[in-house]
Amino acid sequence: MMRVLPWVYLAVAFVFIYLPVATLVLFSFQDGQLPVPPFNGPSLRWYADILGDSRLTAALINSVLVALGASLIAVTLGFLAAYGLARHVLPGSALIRALLIAPLTVSYLIVGLGLLIVLTQAGLGLSLMTAGIGHVVINLPLAFAIIFAAMGAQQQNAERAARDLGANEAQVILLVTVPMLAPAIGAAFFLSMTFSWDEFIISFLLTRFDVTLPVEIWSMLRSGLSPRLNAIGSLVFLVSIAVVLTLELLVFRKRRL
Amino acid sequence: MTAPVTLSGLNHWFGTYQALVDINLDIEAGEYVTLLGPSGCGKTTLLSVLGGFINPSEGSVMIGGRDMTWVAPAKRPTTTMFQDYALFPHMSLRENVGFGLRMAGMGRAERNRKADAQLSLVGLADDAEKRPHELSGGQRQRVALARALAVEPDVLLLDEPLGALDLKLRRAMQDELKAIQRHVGTTFVHVTHDQEEAMAIADRIVVMNAGRIEDQGAPARIYRQPASLFAADFMGEMNHIPVQVTEHGVETPFGRLQLPAPKRGAATLCLRPEAIGTTDAQITLGPARVRDAAFFGTHIRAHLVPDAAPDLVLIAHLPPVDMPAPGDVLVISAGADTISVFPKEP
Repeated sequence: MMRVLPWVYLAVAFVFIYLPVATLVLFSFQDGQLPVPPFNGPSLRWYADILGDSRLTAALINSVLVALGASLIAVTLGFLAAYGLARHVLPGSALIRALLIAPLTVSYLIVGLGLLIVLTQAGLGLSLMTAGIGHVVINLPLAFAIIFAAMGAQQQNAERAARDLGANEAQVILLVTVPMLAPAIGAAFFLSMTFSWDEFIISFLLTRFDVTLPVEIWSMLRSGLSPRLNAIGSLVFLVSIAVVLTLELLVFRKRRL
Repeated sequence: MTAPVTLSGLNHWFGTYQALVDINLDIEAGEYVTLLGPSGCGKTTLLSVLGGFINPSEGSVMIGGRDMTWVAPAKRPTTTMFQDYALFPHMSLRENVGFGLRMAGMGRAERNRKADAQLSLVGLADDAEKRPHELSGGQRQRVALARALAVEPDVLLLDEPLGALDLKLRRAMQDELKAIQRHVGTTFVHVTHDQEEAMAIADRIVVMNAGRIEDQGAPARIYRQPASLFAADFMGEMNHIPVQVTEHGVETPFGRLQLPAPKRGAATLCLRPEAIGTTDAQITLGPARVRDAAFFGTHIRAHLVPDAAPDLVLIAHLPPVDMPAPGDVLVISAGADTISVFPKEP
């Protein structure tokens, strides 16, 4: 009995976590107008429907562009900040670190509202670019924290050896520091990608005509439930899973070696 | 390539702590010098000043006749072999060894050829494609040596290079380092806290303590006629016998000895354990009772209480032939040239 109990607990926990997602995916194959039991099908008509919808595919491409761009910028800035703070003695470096990480604790709604006010005051029209700026704001602290934590004495000694062998600062960073920190930089990049891909509130507040996928889904939700939404949700879920698996296979597995 | 090094008037402070005190040192081109001392004696600081990682508060560093005091490590004709090797884990051994040549702008084909030549010099010719994590500690150490030598530095700086190796491997690598140094002819400056390593490897030992140079010279001279009590103690086990220096000579518990001695007053007479023997020598120490003895393979280490000075316990290394029993009485003596006398430290 005591041997079975942990497995029962595990099963219940997984059902609790994955039942909503499983239901969503199941009813995306519904052959009917409503994503509710009884299940008819399976049918791929809703997938065909959404993939033929130009607004939806445009939103999907927008999401990918924003996620890629914002993650690249956040990881680059996060790396440079971490390198500077780890390698140089600066006055008030503890305070600078705290200020860099602090945005993690601020709710997305507040970040979005603040940016909305600032960007409107600055005369910048709302666009995918402004949503990207918002995503950099929320991803930079995460990228900085991950990369800073990975910087240790091992890289520092290798950097010293590289300088001793005639490397200049740019060569030290590109040929030694970045390759040695590749697992952390990769992890920061993929995590930023998933956060940016799923993010709704900031994108909702900071986009206007071109929108990201979560915002598009939101506007579709207002016209009621439909298996279309299930199909979109399933695709979004599939992309997230793909990113997480890539992360696991490329980055974390390498680190274990 | 090789070059002489001249350090003059070096002083360095870390905050209020003075790590280097009035260092003046000339190193000849092609010489193998070890900086020897306990941790915190300033030897690593001195090496960092040579390598350009620390700019000294005062004084100058001349390498090959050129002032290098303020020149960055990358621009100096020195390379360093670091204590933890600091190999690049994401590069093959060939790329590691060729890194300095790549920084110097050498083309891929030529630097690979040179890197392979360096790897074969240290006996790793077949492993050029491997990554550092596939190697043992001793092999990594060889790669670090090959990498540092590949750029043909005038001076190679070695920061406790054998510290992470086990004893047997360390002794083997000492011989190899010395052989490679003879082969390439580069000036080597090697930091260590192991006096046996220093004696085994160096043309000249520089003994350091509290930021100062205590003594420098050939290993045999430093061991037999150390210039200071610190150098005498650091080079190996030493018997201390309190004595008085007077106008007539050195007054010891064993009688008055005519020895070269410092100024008059209380002094310490130093005698190496292996200088004490049971065969007749110039200086008779008289009968001594064996307190205990232990077999060490190459010698027997015995604690002896001389009848002339019952408060004193002398350590003697006796030939490993007959084991004396506790309570045995031996008549001991020592050669005059094995004795040094230093003023008693305040």
